[in-house]
Amino acid sequence: MSEVIGFLLLGIGSGALISGVGMGVVLSYRGAGVINLAVGAFAMLSGYFFWAIRSGEFASIGTVPAVVLTLLFSALLGVAFELLVVRPQRSATPLAKLIAALGVLLALQAAVILAFGQSAQPQPTILPAGNVIIAGVPVAWYNFIIAGILLVIAVVFMALYRWTRFGLGTRAAAENQAHAMFMGLSPNRLSLANTVLMTVMMGIVGLLSASITEVDSQTLPLLIVPGLAAAMFGRFTSFSVTFVAGVLMGMAESLLLYFSTESWFPTNQGGPIPGYDELLIFIVLVVAMFLRAGKIPARGDVLERRLPAAPVPRAPVRSALIYGAIAAAALYFLPGGFRGALITSLISAILLLSLVITTGFLGQVSVVQLALGGVAGFAVSHFATNFGIGFPWAPIMGVLLAAVFGLLCGIPALRVRGVSLAVVTLAAAVAIENFGFGNTTWGGGVTGSYVPPPSLFGFNFGPNASLHGLDGIEPSPLFGWFVLIVLVLLGLFVCNLRRSGLGQDMLAVRANERAAAAAGINVQYTKLLGFTLSAAVAGVGGALLAYNYGSITADSYDTITALALIAFAYISGITTVPGAIWGGLIFIGSITAYALQDWFGIQGEWFTLIGGLLLILTLVQRPEGVATAMFYGPRPSLRALRLTRRGGGPPGGSQIADRVGEAKVAS
Amino acid sequence: MTTPVLEVADLSAGYTGAEVIRHISLTVGGGEVVTLFGPNGAGKTTTLRVISGVVRASRGRVLYAGRDLARTSPTARARAGIAHVPEGRGIFFGLTVAEHFRLGYRGARIDPRVVYEYFPALEPLKDRRAGLLSGGEQQMLAVGRALARRPQLLLLDELSLGLAPLLVERLLPVVRNYAEDSGCAVLLVEQHVQLATEIADRCYVLSHGDIVLHETGARLAGNPGLLIASYVGQQSAGPGQQGDGAGSGG
Amino acid sequence: MTALLQASGITVSFGSVQALAGVDLDVRAGQLVGLIGPNGAGKTTFIDAITGFVPARGRVMFDGRDISAAPPHVRSRLGLARTWQTIELFDDLTVHENLAVAATRPTVGSSLGELVLGRRQRAEQHADDAVALLELAEFAGRMPSELPQGKRKLVGVARALAGRSKLILLDEPASGLNTAESLDLGQRLRRVADEGVAMLLVDHDMGLVLNICDEVYVIDFGHLLAHGPPGDVRRNPAVLAAYLGGPADAAQQLDGETAASSAERAGEAQ
Repeated sequence: MSEVIGFLLLGIGSGALISGVGMGVVLSYRGAGVINLAVGAFAMLSGYFFWAIRSGEFASIGTVPAVVLTLLFSALLGVAFELLVVRPQRSATPLAKLIAALGVLLALQAAVILAFGQSAQPQPTILPAGNVIIAGVPVAWYNFIIAGILLVIAVVFMALYRWTRFGLGTRAAAENQAHAMFMGLSPNRLSLANTVLMTVMMGIVGLLSASITEVDSQTLPLLIVPGLAAAMFGRFTSFSVTFVAGVLMGMAESLLLYFSTESWFPTNQGGPIPGYDELLIFIVLVVAMFLRAGKIPARGDVLERRLPAAPVPRAPVRSALIYGAIAAAALYFLPGGFRGALITSLISAILLLSLVITTGFLGQVSVVQLALGGVAGFAVSHFATNFGIGFPWAPIMGVLLAAVFGLLCGIPALRVRGVSLAVVTLAAAVAIENFGFGNTTWGGGVTGSYVPPPSLFGFNFGPNASLHGLDGIEPSPLFGWFVLIVLVLLGLFVCNLRRSGLGQDMLAVRANERAAAAAGINVQYTKLLGFTLSAAVAGVGGALLAYNYGSITADSYDTITALALIAFAYISGITTVPGAIWGGLIFIGSITAYALQDWFGIQGEWFTLIGGLLLILTLVQRPEGVATAMFYGPRPSLRALRLTRRGGGPPGGSQIADRVGEAKVAS
Repeated sequence: MTTPVLEVADLSAGYTGAEVIRHISLTVGGGEVVTLFGPNGAGKTTTLRVISGVVRASRGRVLYAGRDLARTSPTARARAGIAHVPEGRGIFFGLTVAEHFRLGYRGARIDPRVVYEYFPALEPLKDRRAGLLSGGEQQMLAVGRALARRPQLLLLDELSLGLAPLLVERLLPVVRNYAEDSGCAVLLVEQHVQLATEIADRCYVLSHGDIVLHETGARLAGNPGLLIASYVGQQSAGPGQQGDGAGSGG
Repeated sequence: MTALLQASGITVSFGSVQALAGVDLDVRAGQLVGLIGPNGAGKTTFIDAITGFVPARGRVMFDGRDISAAPPHVRSRLGLARTWQTIELFDDLTVHENLAVAATRPTVGSSLGELVLGRRQRAEQHADDAVALLELAEFAGRMPSELPQGKRKLVGVARALAGRSKLILLDEPASGLNTAESLDLGQRLRRVADEGVAMLLVDHDMGLVLNICDEVYVIDFGHLLAHGPPGDVRRNPAVLAAYLGGPADAAQQLDGETAASSAERAGEAQ
């Protein structure tokens, strides 16, 4: 039993790192109104910077000057982030701000991979080594040091926000920007100061993390998921609650690690089941959301830009025939590598279509769509390998299963929307990837899960079918044509949806939930139906992806790709079918990416980097997306800049009845 | 004639392309209290928001002490001495009373003593959060917070909104006194006609975005029919009482 | 003849503040009823309570049915529509689509037809009628953001009409309109009422309300202050006192009391 105490203490170091990321989220939200998915990525970048100037990659200088330089670098990073991303997005919706931060996350990850490679780097630690034996378990000193430093930071922030003019100003500006301006406060400067504070703190987290983990492109950035859970417990407001929640989560993870060695712990292929800690974080986040999300204070920002318009499709059948014919010919005549990349593009376009429904029509950002595709993909694989069920029943059942999962994921959307939904679906995606797909029984494990090629009445039309392209090389154009037909049908389906009564209801819900209810729309039913339809489309994409790969692992449907999918959807146009199709053509692994690599030797990571940067640029310059603008433009340049008033205070007090009634539901 | 503290000339503005106010001109001099009347939706609040800079004018000019404010941000306008107390108080429910007086930019001169002098009722409530104050106390805090900055131009939007008349009777004279004591120009949007006409030097009446009446406070106070006519519409107004353009004012 | 809408004892509280205190109000079929009162009197809250957007005590009978507990979309489908002070159009849909959303309820069958076969739903007659009645035909294909304020207000009314409504609650349809637009709106509303659609009109433009309504209710501080034909209400000194903050004697003789109780007394006195 005493070992339990020891393991609990072992977790406080990594728990404090979670707290640090969580507090970074709080700072970003209070100071700049951003649910900042890139917080962990800033810590990663500082970690790499420190490693590079210590290890000889860039320089090899002493610890103390390197620490100082790293913190300076972090501060500059904050200034750049504020000026290039936060400030241009000042008047954007919380959702657009979150997406912009997503662009930063993707760009930073890709940048470090390009600069330093995929593998982790041994970042030198700045904390003393050595253990103390507690309850029979050797606990490293650094755990206490890290937790201590972050506790001090939490206390400093609390004091800063409570007693200083800067803190009061930040609280005031967060509650109501216009009122703060009337008092001569500058929301811009307050936001800058908070952002720099955030990046410097993340610099410290990056430095401290060296004792616990090597620096790589995944670990610290994805710490954002537990960090968000901690911040949600603190209602994106309280540093103390966020700190405690983070440390407790670290301790719980450590305890689970201890339990995983026990005989009663569920196992998979001889080892403890994978992904249990991601599942834990997801559950914690859902609990946090249900307990606290309703109480997250809405920010009273002055201006709000809306989601891009979703124009009615023009002559979809004609476009489908023309572009379909071109694609069909290309699938036969293009050389093998290009053909494969084109097929990938077409499948990506299907996955992007599912985002057109959830985000474009319904106005909800869901990160879980690719994972839903994975549900269908693994279902296809396991139905075939375990039960001998093949095409078309396996993919049909897979798609239905994905739709059921989509319905389940839609349930939180009844309670929370926009930003909170994006956060909870992000955690769901991570949990499904690790707990679901990482498991050999119902996922792919490490070795992967075999997917037999699709065939009907003995006629194989998978990537390895006997009919080859003009150059006689696989993949077979038959499979490409099959994907193309599915894409064309689904594209027309989504076009019809936009014109249908149901699609109009969705857009009405997206525009204004209260007015939609007043017009007789059952908002909850419409949302659930939208999520289910979208999940089914994602399921089709995921099943086709499985056929395309032939063997799938958790990495086939990983969360970073899911995030990139959202980025590219936004770049190309998240509200229209052409947006989805062009998005597919420029996505990671797409025909464009292949061409650039083939002709100019440009690596795939450049695509993520450019994608991330383009996303930020798109959000500022062309919020409707490049392809949508191309197909449906020119739209009136005077985008609706609407003044909104948000009730910020607690009910009661002296809120005047009529005004309370008017206070718009934050959407 | 000295330069008025505020001069609004031929001002038009609105939201999403719809003009809410059209060709409005008005002035407020130092130490003067000027009231803007008009039914809801007439454009009173928009006028104040254009003056403090959160809504951009589509046409016309706002001159503050003779200086054109077109290129001045709301923050800079506030720092130059314009205090705007918006509809719905303009205070922060999450902050305590005392915190409101520590809130400020670097170099801001905020003197809570001024406030406690004009509103002694606030002093014992120093450590209470603004969200927990009564409506009247909140409004005192909002006005007090504005006075503490010793503004040269005070914009007050619907102080009486949701307050019992008794409270308004206490609040408005404080504003009058302050204007006289300090030489501050006050532009007041108000629905409480009787009290507002009593303390105002001059009044403008705004209807559907146009100024339809411009009168001295004294004349309007003595002849409420003028105002009722512009509120209730032509049918109830006697002939010749309908304000149809700017009359001669002070 | 029983009333189409019978609201009795409607009470709404926000925390410790009582926004509405037991308001009774009836609207008969085809009647145009005005609801006026100073800012903050509780008019919008009343509309919210009747349409189900704020929790309220009291009983709401509509078309012979008790709808006190029904969610907003159900009340809407029964024929109880509303507009908003801030208009609240669906900015992502064209004007015609805005109306179509209210006019048609997609069913599983119709949705399948539309999604799979691309068939268009046909039950949009009411949307076209509303467009015709309010003369919005030339704007039907435009986006709401491209329309002038006055027309957007009309689209809001048209959307409420399009849902086969029996009663429309209008929240400040004339605010932000210029004088000519306001007069024009008044005439159109009168015409809609004459077609048999009942309306409850909340507006600050007393001229508009008193000129076009059959009956007027006045509330202040959440209490019903007066009720009767426009002519009576227009001459009621208590109403003017409440509305203009007391230019008349009423306010002075009640020195020291809250407006709510003074208003109540004045209401009872007549």
